[in-house]
Amino acid sequence: MTDSALRIRGLRKAFAKVVAVDGVDLEVARGEVFGLLGPNGAGKTTTFEIIEGLTLADAGDIEILGLTWARQGREIRSRIGVQLQSTSLFNKITPREALDLYGSYYPKRRDTQELLELVQLVDKADAYHITLSGGQQQRLALALALVNDPELVFLDEPTTGLDPQARRSLWDVVRRMKGEGRTVVLTTHYMDEAEALCDRLAIMDHGQVIATGTPASLISDLAIPSVVELTFDGDAPDPTAFAAKLGQAVERRTDLWEIPTPDPKALLNHLLEAAESAAVPFLQVHIRRATLEDVFLHRTGRSLRE
Amino acid sequence: MMLWRQFAMEWRLYSRDRAAMFWTMAFPVILLLFFGTILGGGDGLKLSVVRVQSQAPGPRDAALDQALADLQLKVQALPKAEAEARWSRGETVALLEPEGEGYRLRLNSYLMAQAGATAGLVNQAWLVAQARLSGAPEPLRIPAQVESPGRKRATNYASFLLPGLLGLNLVSMGLFSVGMVNVSYREKGKFRRLAVTPLPKWIFLLGQVLHRLTVTVIQAGILLLVGRLVFGIQNQGSFLNLLLIMTLGTGCFMAFGFALSGFAETSEGYAALSNLVFLPLMMLSGIYFTLDAAPTWLQHAVAVMPLAPFVRVLRAVFNDGAGLAGHGLGLAIVAAWGFAAFILAVRRFRWA
Repeated sequence: MTDSALRIRGLRKAFAKVVAVDGVDLEVARGEVFGLLGPNGAGKTTTFEIIEGLTLADAGDIEILGLTWARQGREIRSRIGVQLQSTSLFNKITPREALDLYGSYYPKRRDTQELLELVQLVDKADAYHITLSGGQQQRLALALALVNDPELVFLDEPTTGLDPQARRSLWDVVRRMKGEGRTVVLTTHYMDEAEALCDRLAIMDHGQVIATGTPASLISDLAIPSVVELTFDGDAPDPTAFAAKLGQAVERRTDLWEIPTPDPKALLNHLLEAAESAAVPFLQVHIRRATLEDVFLHRTGRSLRE
Repeated sequence: MMLWRQFAMEWRLYSRDRAAMFWTMAFPVILLLFFGTILGGGDGLKLSVVRVQSQAPGPRDAALDQALADLQLKVQALPKAEAEARWSRGETVALLEPEGEGYRLRLNSYLMAQAGATAGLVNQAWLVAQARLSGAPEPLRIPAQVESPGRKRATNYASFLLPGLLGLNLVSMGLFSVGMVNVSYREKGKFRRLAVTPLPKWIFLLGQVLHRLTVTVIQAGILLLVGRLVFGIQNQGSFLNLLLIMTLGTGCFMAFGFALSGFAETSEGYAALSNLVFLPLMMLSGIYFTLDAAPTWLQHAVAVMPLAPFVRVLRAVFNDGAGLAGHGLGLAIVAAWGFAAFILAVRRFRWA
């Protein structure tokens, strides 16, 4: 038995018009919470589907808990837990029934009541699925992914479409999974989620992994750990002329300018002088630590949400 | 054990969908009661003619009226203006007006099936009336006798309809309860959720098939019971033959649903596709009426479709107590369709 929960080499998958996964290598250690971060269409979900045995790869090797699909498919299915991006159940099945039913598919299963408590659905245990809120349905999907007491859990965008409170309560469940010693692999396009939950991350774009590391190391690897922002009243003006004068790159966002810098203190004096002499009509100045969003921006030239 | 659990869950969820359950069970019964009653008994739908009243009724008019009444034709006598108004509203099948020494008959071009039969009766009445007026002997009629094709007994339209509805139920079960449901499972990702569990897929599908089978058996049972209680219809053949035929049909049309579900990407696409298959099968397979009067090419085409031969065999056994021996070809056609559909289903069926 290896100490990796998941090992992927040279994974490739092309569809008719697009190469969805283009040579992905990943390694996830046991007990880790690992995140795949990237914008929509980066290839996260296709990568997941291949790992979960739903889609066949064109090329590449996958080892899950030391097992391979070609020879041990049934055992893999028994030992992993999966939450798909959207989990569709029967309209009139109750959470209790769904957990009992899906539990019956596995050789090893967790107690239904215990799962209901874990995802805080005891009150709704006997309500029809169709009457549950989005967050409740998502928590049920999470409980279903845990029904077989899996060693390795895959969560595909577990919090997309949820309100902030529902997201927090899902994060708690993920942390408890880690506490129970499970390995969790999740995809997200929320950088705050990746920072809050993940021990390590892979940033994906256009079907490729463009960076891997802990959230802190990814940020500190940027030579520019801070960002100075000038906010405007309304749309920010074109910064080209000002950037030339300042001798520093200035990025325009909708209503602000962003100036990445390794030394915000030194930049600030210089910046304010230049802004005053050029009569830049800014409202406020902020200094903030760089985030994963900046890492992504720096690596791809695009924002995560674009 | 796993299979039993799937089957039980299918039934539990099905029983919660009251509306679907009601319509599956009740709709064929409603069809049977409705059509069996209005088209059923001897004088359900009488042919009728509108007769324009003569200005000065003579013996000729009296003789024709008498002859029309003898032929059981429903006659409505109206003043000329009123009859004309009714005609132009399109409500009259045939309009009989006095003209010169005789009469004139106008037939509604939209309703030629009824109008043609009415014209035959009116002419027959006119021949009788003329004979009576001239004192000649009345023309002789060919004696007619009503009986079922297998000469088992003479029953009503409901007995013609019932086997047809049994067949139609199987088709709608295959196309809608199996095909439609599978497309929506695939579209909504229910299959994908199952595919990441170790449950063998055949157990899921077999559980589903067994559920649909029991629904069909119950549905057929209700229909047979209502037929017996309301119309006095009984199975004239052997129940074993009936069971064999129904089993063959269930297999054939279920495979049909599976096969067709592989040809549509979305539920909307499948709805269009399945209706494209269902409506011609329903209208042209001799469920509600025979196609004796249809063009020969159409009759040939329909004879090699799966539903028409199936219903024909079913009728022969159920209504006339026939054995299976004389119906090898019909059974072979149904089996061939079932086999082809099965092969196609296996090749085209997709989980995602």
